Amino acid sequence: MDDLRAVNRDVGTNATKISARGVQVHYGDTHAIKDVEVDIKERSVTSFIGPSGCGKSTFLRCINRMNDTIDICRVEGDIRIDGDDIYDRTIDPVQLRARVGMVFQKPNPFPKSIYDNVAYGPKIHGLARSRADMDEIVEQSLRRGAIWDEVKDRLHAPGTGLSGGQQQRLCIARAVATDPEVLLMDEPCSALDPIATSQVEELIDTLREKYTVVIVTHSMQQAARVSQKTAFFHLGSLVEYGDTDEIFANPKDSRTESYISGRIG
Amino acid sequence: MTTLAFAILLVASLAAYALNRRAATGIRNGGARLHSVSNYHGLFALLLMLVPVLVVILAWLVLQGSVVNAVVMGGLPDGTLTGLEKGQVDLILAEIQSIAGGRVFGQPEPWKLAAAERLTELRQLAALGLVLVTALLCLAIMIIARKKVSAEFRARQGVERIVSGLMIFCSVVAIFTTVGIVASLAFETYKFLRLVPLTEFLFGLNWEPQIPIRADQIAAAGAFGWIPVFVGTIVITIVAIVIAVPIGLLSAIYLFEFAPKRIRAVAKPLLEILAGVPTVVYGFFAILVVAPAIRSIGASLGIPVAPNTALAAGGVMGIMLVPFISSFADDALSAVPRAMRDGALALGATRAETVLNVLFPAAIPGIVGGVLLAVSRAIGETMIVVMAAGLMANLTLNPLESVTTVTVQIVTLLIGDTSFDNPKTLAAFALGMMLFLVTLVINIFALRIVRKCREAYD
Repeated sequence: MDDLRAVNRDVGTNATKISARGVQVHYGDTHAIKDVEVDIKERSVTSFIGPSGCGKSTFLRCINRMNDTIDICRVEGDIRIDGDDIYDRTIDPVQLRARVGMVFQKPNPFPKSIYDNVAYGPKIHGLARSRADMDEIVEQSLRRGAIWDEVKDRLHAPGTGLSGGQQQRLCIARAVATDPEVLLMDEPCSALDPIATSQVEELIDTLREKYTVVIVTHSMQQAARVSQKTAFFHLGSLVEYGDTDEIFANPKDSRTESYISGRIG
Repeated sequence: MTTLAFAILLVASLAAYALNRRAATGIRNGGARLHSVSNYHGLFALLLMLVPVLVVILAWLVLQGSVVNAVVMGGLPDGTLTGLEKGQVDLILAEIQSIAGGRVFGQPEPWKLAAAERLTELRQLAALGLVLVTALLCLAIMIIARKKVSAEFRARQGVERIVSGLMIFCSVVAIFTTVGIVASLAFETYKFLRLVPLTEFLFGLNWEPQIPIRADQIAAAGAFGWIPVFVGTIVITIVAIVIAVPIGLLSAIYLFEFAPKRIRAVAKPLLEILAGVPTVVYGFFAILVVAPAIRSIGASLGIPVAPNTALAAGGVMGIMLVPFISSFADDALSAVPRAMRDGALALGATRAETVLNVLFPAAIPGIVGGVLLAVSRAIGETMIVVMAAGLMANLTLNPLESVTTVTVQIVTLLIGDTSFDNPKTLAAFALGMMLFLVTLVINIFALRIVRKCREAYD
């Protein structure tokens, strides 16, 4: 799979950004995540792969506590970002989510202008001191989202008028506008066509210069192309976790091997 | 006998259904490929019989009475009716009918008794005829329908044509009813405008709908300017909307976003019960509870308050509109895709920020549509204001004064013995026409806004 890589991949640092220990998630009576342990490295791209319903998205949503918005969901265990327990009582999920941005499966720009979409996060968190400051943040975020050149002349046009791929990059720009440390992506390319997908993948590869990126994907080629570490989930358990090269070249677990070779999933 | 005719039709149509279905199944079992499923062959026969025969029976019943009467009156001895006016002829007919019905008063002339007997005979004959005609028609149609059954016959298309014809007929009935109502309003309004000039009606500042009883009575000349009545409606509507919109919206937002499940489960049905309270109950709530309360509060503050204020009527009307606006807002908020909420929450927005900055703007077209519909309901609301608002048309914007509304005036103008050729009565139609136009314009706006809201996410 070497030929599929976008850029040669060296993990930025070896420091652990996110560490999970003994994470259990229940949806009502369903045990969705079983005892997951993982260490995610700083400034790298980590991908979660696995068949549908294996819990990879659920686990991703634990990292910014989005599962809190679902009434029947119960999370146990220990997830730390930079050593801080994010499920601690003193942690405000609202502030946590400013540090841990998220991009969803379907592009979901607000029905506002492109500018306001990006400016919304910085505005509610008070990141800009002046109008000029905000303009600066918006421009920079749109540049990081690799969409600045396409929209710089129509910043006040509605964000919903963009094409699907542009909308998704706008959503990435919106997520990086609050200057998060971690960026979670839940199948960010599944609603996009191949050209838009490759644009977003390129973007993901550049994002790891600054952010710790965790991406859930159904496409194994995508995992191979963009990520340095890969975790394989099956039936709510983390089966195997390691360097992407290793996982795809010689998977240790037979389930991983079956999945990669297309026998399960 | 009429019941018998209907029974024959019902049985015959079911029989035709069974017959054709069976015939079609027979063809299929014989190895041929049917164009339509055998059920459609049966339905085709059923509809082919039901619709025309039903029309014939109903037409017969409508026409039977007048035909029989005409025959009886024509059969009276020569010269009985010469030189009589229409009213007297009708009187004779009515007497003959009551004799035929067994109610004999005094000693009727023998020719009346003979006519009554003839009437009874003719009626029986007509009823018998109806049954016979029904039976014959059913038989004929059953044979025609049965002959149509063949492998190639397109029974499904036939059924679809008949059913779509029925649907067109029903929608035409609804449309023509509306057109008829508007036309009669327009006609009476035209008659009113021949007696009272349009400019006086539209721009006059006085509303004293009275007419001189005697031709030489000077003091009682009326004035028909609708402005004060309309202003009264507007004042009450504004009071109602000012109360209903904040309460309705905030309760909807609370129930939608913040209320725990258990509270929502109790509060939403309770709010809907509020929508089911009859307006007459709101009316006496307004006049017995709210109006005296406002008056005593006003008295303790030293403000003069009229006994039936616009505030009381409008306030209670506002309460009536709360569930309306609240359910509209709830629908509009629920229609915003969940992805919007997630997007905002994932950016670190609080629930309040999510609702106010993202969900609410996305829902605003739907909410505005609901509010405009509430406005047109408030304008057209009658019972609460008839009970709680005043009758005097004061031109004032003060909600603590007594005002009257268009609907109240229409009710008072048409109550009691009225003749339909004087401006006092006709004014009610003119008011109704204006009310119709105002609410029509508001409804058009509301629908446009609601449509725009739908387009946003499709």
